[in-house]
Amino acid sequence: MTNGWTDIRNADVVLAMGGNPAENHPVGFRFVMDAKRHRGATLVSVDPRFNRTAAVADRFVQIRAGSDIAFLGGLINHALSNHRYHEEYVRLFTNATFLVSETYSFDDTQGVFSGWDGERRAYTDRSGWAYELDGQGHARVDPTMQHPRCVLQSMKAFYARYTPEMVSRICGCTPDAFTQAAELITSTGTPDRVGTIVYALGWTHHSVAVQLIHAAAMLQLLLGNIGRPGGGLNALRGHANIQGGTDCGMAYHNLPGYIAIPKADHPTLDAFLRAVTPRATRPESMNFWSNTDRFAVSQFKAYYGAAATAANQFGYDWHPKLPQLAEGGYENWSWAYIFDHMLAGAMEGFFSFGMNPVSNGPHSAKATAALAKLQWLVVAENFEQETAVFWREDIAALAGLKPEEIPTEVFMLPAANFAEKDGCFVNSARWIQWKWKAVDPPGEALPDQEIIGRLFLKIRELYEREGGVAPEPVRHLDWWYTHPSSPSLEEVCRELNGWALREVRDADGAVILRPGQQLASFLHLQADGSTLSGNWLYIGMYTDAGNLTKRRSAADPSGLGRHPEWAFSWPANRRVMYNRASADGSGRPWDPSRPAIAWDGQRWVGDVPDYRADSAPAASLGAFIMLPEGVARLFVPGQLAEGPWTEHYEPQESPVANPLHPQRSANPVARPFTTPFDVLGSAEEYPIVCTTYRLTEHFHYWTKHNPYTMQLQPEFFVEIPEDLAAEQGIANADMVRVTSARGSIEGRAMVTRRIKSMQIAGRKVYQIGVPIHWGFVGRGAQRGSLANLLTHTVVDPNSYTPEYKAFLVKLEKV
Amino acid sequence: MATLDLRRVSASSPPAPGVREAAVVAKLIDTTTCIGCKACEVACQAWNDLPPETTVQAGTYQTLPGLAPNFWNLIRFTEHEDDQGGLHWLMRKDQCMHCAEPGCLVACPAPGAIVQYANGIVDFQQDRCIGCGYCMTGCPFNVPTFNPRTGRVYKCTLCSDRTAVGLEPACVKACPTGCLQFGAKASLLEVATARVARLEADGFAQAAVYDPPGVGGTGVVTVLAYGDRPELYGLPRDPRIPLAVTLWKGPLKWIGNAAILAGLLGAAVHFVRYGRKAVHGADAAPAGEARDGR
Amino acid sequence: MDGDPARRIVRYRFSERLVHTFTAIAYVYLLLTGLAFWTPALYWIAIALGGGYLSRVLHPWAGIVFVILVGWMYVAWRHDMRITPEDRAWRRALRHYATNEDARVPPAWRFNDGQKGFFRVMVAASVALLLSGLGLWWVDLVPWELRWLRFAAVLVHAIAALVTIGGFILHVYMGLLVVPGGLRAIVQGDVTEEWARAHHLLWYRSLRQSDDLDTE
Repeated sequence: MTNGWTDIRNADVVLAMGGNPAENHPVGFRFVMDAKRHRGATLVSVDPRFNRTAAVADRFVQIRAGSDIAFLGGLINHALSNHRYHEEYVRLFTNATFLVSETYSFDDTQGVFSGWDGERRAYTDRSGWAYELDGQGHARVDPTMQHPRCVLQSMKAFYARYTPEMVSRICGCTPDAFTQAAELITSTGTPDRVGTIVYALGWTHHSVAVQLIHAAAMLQLLLGNIGRPGGGLNALRGHANIQGGTDCGMAYHNLPGYIAIPKADHPTLDAFLRAVTPRATRPESMNFWSNTDRFAVSQFKAYYGAAATAANQFGYDWHPKLPQLAEGGYENWSWAYIFDHMLAGAMEGFFSFGMNPVSNGPHSAKATAALAKLQWLVVAENFEQETAVFWREDIAALAGLKPEEIPTEVFMLPAANFAEKDGCFVNSARWIQWKWKAVDPPGEALPDQEIIGRLFLKIRELYEREGGVAPEPVRHLDWWYTHPSSPSLEEVCRELNGWALREVRDADGAVILRPGQQLASFLHLQADGSTLSGNWLYIGMYTDAGNLTKRRSAADPSGLGRHPEWAFSWPANRRVMYNRASADGSGRPWDPSRPAIAWDGQRWVGDVPDYRADSAPAASLGAFIMLPEGVARLFVPGQLAEGPWTEHYEPQESPVANPLHPQRSANPVARPFTTPFDVLGSAEEYPIVCTTYRLTEHFHYWTKHNPYTMQLQPEFFVEIPEDLAAEQGIANADMVRVTSARGSIEGRAMVTRRIKSMQIAGRKVYQIGVPIHWGFVGRGAQRGSLANLLTHTVVDPNSYTPEYKAFLVKLEKV
Repeated sequence: MATLDLRRVSASSPPAPGVREAAVVAKLIDTTTCIGCKACEVACQAWNDLPPETTVQAGTYQTLPGLAPNFWNLIRFTEHEDDQGGLHWLMRKDQCMHCAEPGCLVACPAPGAIVQYANGIVDFQQDRCIGCGYCMTGCPFNVPTFNPRTGRVYKCTLCSDRTAVGLEPACVKACPTGCLQFGAKASLLEVATARVARLEADGFAQAAVYDPPGVGGTGVVTVLAYGDRPELYGLPRDPRIPLAVTLWKGPLKWIGNAAILAGLLGAAVHFVRYGRKAVHGADAAPAGEARDGR
Repeated sequence: MDGDPARRIVRYRFSERLVHTFTAIAYVYLLLTGLAFWTPALYWIAIALGGGYLSRVLHPWAGIVFVILVGWMYVAWRHDMRITPEDRAWRRALRHYATNEDARVPPAWRFNDGQKGFFRVMVAASVALLLSGLGLWWVDLVPWELRWLRFAAVLVHAIAALVTIGGFILHVYMGLLVVPGGLRAIVQGDVTEEWARAHHLLWYRSLRQSDDLDTE
């Protein structure tokens, strides 16, 4: 979240799209309700289903699963063509004024940007996806935003195609329904109104996911809603600590703190830093990532401790680097690729901690077949789950296997759950919150850090005794914890924050850090090995004042729900990111009743400024200090695989050809896998759009073991529109079978008015919904109804997230 | 609860007046901010140590068709399409309404099995309950449920054990959106009225507070967007103690008692006036004597 | 008059007496526990009979027993309970019967019209009590949509019970206090010929004609 849960109550309009916060984030949803109760805020819900959020929304618009970009493109067009955007904000804080390269173009009949090679079906030349630069390598700008090649004009031209009628043809809502919702949403394009967008996996689980978020970011920037209390673009994370996982390098292509992972063609630390450190594209830009060397070196010091010296490039030499591929690019070890590699026999073993690939990954049959290629599998979990028993007759049968054909040795390690150990959660609002153990783990269950600690000690012992390939990272890893077999998470917190290894002085010679002093600001990090920090983003959470994640003061001096002494919010305890954009060019808040920060003549006061605290507004360093432009990107100059603007592409399985450009229907840069499992269905055979989702009554695949949550939602079901049910003679609670090109599941029909048939591109299209949560293991009638037996493995080409949320099926009565 | 004075006790004379001052409490259910998450359902079971229910998917999000002896708190889900074709998914927490004039208590024949505390909470005392189910007939809201295994009747206690010591009911504690609130009824009515004003401004002209006067008002105050159509939410439009129960426990009882007494007295008067019929044969004497006479 | 007026003849067979006795016991139990549930003033009866809960559990079973026994009596006596022309005459003279001017009361068959009335009322009330009682017993199975059945049940059960109480008072008063020999007839089964002639002349004659005087 750019803002935070408690901040939502400052909103005038809340757009819930690509998420169902009432269902999946009921606790945080309190603040949406507070906005409605106390501000009279308007809640707009846009979703394939009339869901629990829609039930309390002021306006609901049903759209087809997978059509979100068209809807957002329509909103952008509505804002631009009706001048319902915050012009001064856009001029000050976005790249709307930048000039786009002369070689940029978009072919709206082919649906591709400049640089597309039709033969190789790839973008071979992305040079047009750039700004026009001056002699110093800085982007040219037109502050009047009238230049035909300035970003704003380029954007107007691009999105002019997204008329209400086109939105209707793609999304299935009426033009009127769209326009009415657009009026509400774009009503926040003024200084005195603010709107927020809350989204979740309904946006990220698409083959166009990152561009989808890009579209939403553009909309919020146009409306002047980023950086302001009550605004922002807010990703609601699906697990208590998924934000913490992402921050700490969970994704294969990042080190902790969102530092890109070293690659094989970065042989030296310098080469690595050169490759990953951006250069400012405007002269005034702070370009905060220019400090990447300090973040990275301090992180290597955290890994390798005293063994990391300038002579060995602080351990960079030892650190694993992502291999290159012969055909160009690098190996990919994101989720769907892991299982593709596994199926190809490229993996010997697999650790699954708190993961259940058979259930929660896409295409359960492929995942099962892949696991059967392993020699060993370690599952650390609270409960027995599908992955740990994937060799069971009924589950193995999904992949056409028999138990006796599976050589994999499975180790099931009972693990403590979140309530059975201390530690931190990082919530969606970036609050790092300590939690205290409530009960002891049952039986032989151990906390994860003890399982990992013991494994590490054993592995290190083996390396030391027997050697092996690349032993250095393991042998030199600084395992300094008081209890090596079970590191205290308090100590891990201290290390993530980091401390000074030597005395550090500033330019004037004054001591700013004593040896051993916990770091309080990432400005104090050094690139010479004199500081250590596991994750620069978290600096300030564990200072000499102690573990600030344990703070629990509800004090709210601002009255805006910032609660600065509740836990610690990264970065730097800032509650609203990009908050410089909450004030105008002279430092006055756009809305004085909702100030994030304000310039008092000397300093920025209010929230922790996302800016140099003592830099006067006139210096205009740029409100987006993390970007080399210093301003937010509407036009994205080359970082995203599909192009600089967000274009609507159909899901990989779609009932219609893309109404914008039927020849190029789906995402041109998405690449399907090629195993026999990776098949896509046609609209002729599988005419119904299907989407997956979660229920408030359950948490993932855990709670099917709990009799109390099972009573609330006892069985897998399929939500079916009334007219489709009537057509197929399906009555409420009948057993039905849903089949995709990958697999088939059975469950109870829930015939409802909450999903309606739609007219898409002139055709009647039905949409149904299936919840996840059921499978093979657990209480009650499980029936093997894994929603992911239906889903395919095509991933977004930027984030590599599978398209769980829009695919095709057929439906039959059993 | 020993810490609460009683206002009414079933099948008993009015209790002695207490000296403690207890404000009438209430729970506010704002159906317009309920998201149907069911946290209240499980919180209720957790606090009250109620075992889980065995359920089936019957084509609805609703956990059970109705309340159950171990399920005192049920979110009812209703899909409603308005005249303009707008869809509404109404969610209402069903539970004991804690009527000021409780039909269950009026109907109950077992002294002390149903009590109403001075703070308005209506509570069942299972140790006094005889399991007759008259309360189920007396309740206009279909709330008390009979457990055939224990032979007793159960319902929401408004967490009288929590509220007596100053805690909010478990459901209120668990409610994430603030749609449930607990407090003095007078102040909650103000909250509810303000909420209705907001809803009216938002276009729900029929929004209303449901606090039905027919049962003297309820200890559960409900905000309805469609206040003119409470039956959409499974609420009776004008709940009252059923006429049959009022007749049965009122006029019929007194008429019946008088008739029984009159019958007994009539027999006595008849006997005094006319005495026995003539004796025939050996039966002149009472049976015993006759036998002796033979 | 022929025969020995003191000679005893059988009025009720053993089975009839047995059934009547059990019916009476069941009825008294039902009456006492029912009164306990009817009015809090008499709730002590339920406690005296083992507690409110036990009384509530046994009351419906006693009711079932009662209704079965009443059913037996209905089958056994239904011929004797048929209305005859003589009954109409008897009814017209009810005032004389009530004031013990028995000489002015027309002769009756085995049962006089008053007894037949009592019989019909008790049978009808038993049916009403059974049906309403089932509704009360299984109130949790009565759907909310059919809740008028619950309301009907409480009223019908109460009214029917009150009717039986009226009948019961009259029946017991007559049998114990007003009609000498009545109690012995139903307990030991026999009456004197004189008693039979006096109270049920037509019945007595029919016995004689059929020579079916089963004497001791």
